[in-house]
Amino acid sequence: MKMPAGLDIARLYDAHAQPLFAFLLNFTRAEADTRDLLQEIFVKLAREPQLLAGVREERAFLIRLAHNAAIDLMRRRGTREKTRENFAAEIISPFAPTSDPDEKVFREELAIALGELPEEQRAVVHLKLWSELTFEEIAAALDISPNTAASRYRYGLDKLRARLRPLYEEMKKAE
Amino acid sequence: MNDDMEQFERRLCRQSLREIPKAWRAEILTAARETQAAHYASRMAHRSFLSTFKNQLSTFFWPHPQAWAGLAPVETVKSAPPSPEAMAELKKQQRMFAELVGASVAPDADRRKIFLPRPRSERTEILTA
Repeated sequence: MKMPAGLDIARLYDAHAQPLFAFLLNFTRAEADTRDLLQEIFVKLAREPQLLAGVREERAFLIRLAHNAAIDLMRRRGTREKTRENFAAEIISPFAPTSDPDEKVFREELAIALGELPEEQRAVVHLKLWSELTFEEIAAALDISPNTAASRYRYGLDKLRARLRPLYEEMKKAE
Repeated sequence: MNDDMEQFERRLCRQSLREIPKAWRAEILTAARETQAAHYASRMAHRSFLSTFKNQLSTFFWPHPQAWAGLAPVETVKSAPPSPEAMAELKKQQRMFAELVGASVAPDADRRKIFLPRPRSERTEILTA
């Protein structure tokens, strides 16, 4: 099918779909929801290509779209508390499977610990650790100040370390 | 930041994330392209409708552009008010005509407006006045 000249959806997908997928999966903890949200984002861009006009940081802009779409989904589904309970019950991990038994246990625990973080901290921790964004970029993506992004990251990381400390110490000794 | 925290952060960073399912690419891009095509088609249809409407209006109001163009100067002359010189010349010719037929020309204010619709009997009266 011949497309009008303009937005190259395939290029956008190839450049950004993987990090958006990881971010959304960490947020929703449900593969079906992640797929729906990802499709919603790309369909929205196809329908409204002007959204990207003048955008300098595509990644940050797309993460913002993804974050807003995920929050909208949560609101549609019910209260955030209910969703958080669902997160705790879910076993879908945002991490890749591994054959190393120690790493496997660590990833499972880390996935649970991440799921227990408040969503605003989880989003910042994810973007800092696995999308390698700066606090300025995270602030732009989530529409918060860089200081807020930094403090959310610090709180989130402290909670993760406290939660994973026994396992982490044990693994350090083994190394 | 202490070393322990940095080590913990580095360990977290090393954890690789799940990869997006390969099949999603085709599915999502197809959905996006269908939307893109539908949006494009809708825009084209809207433009086409406006263009057709405009053409039909032109056809309706402008069946013979050359004829309309030819009539334009006539309309301009018709609608333009007569100049004082032309009015004076017209009055002079009316007086000469009245002298020739042996009748006096009535002043403008007293003259009947013969083009107003009225009963046929009154028209006869005007002609014989």
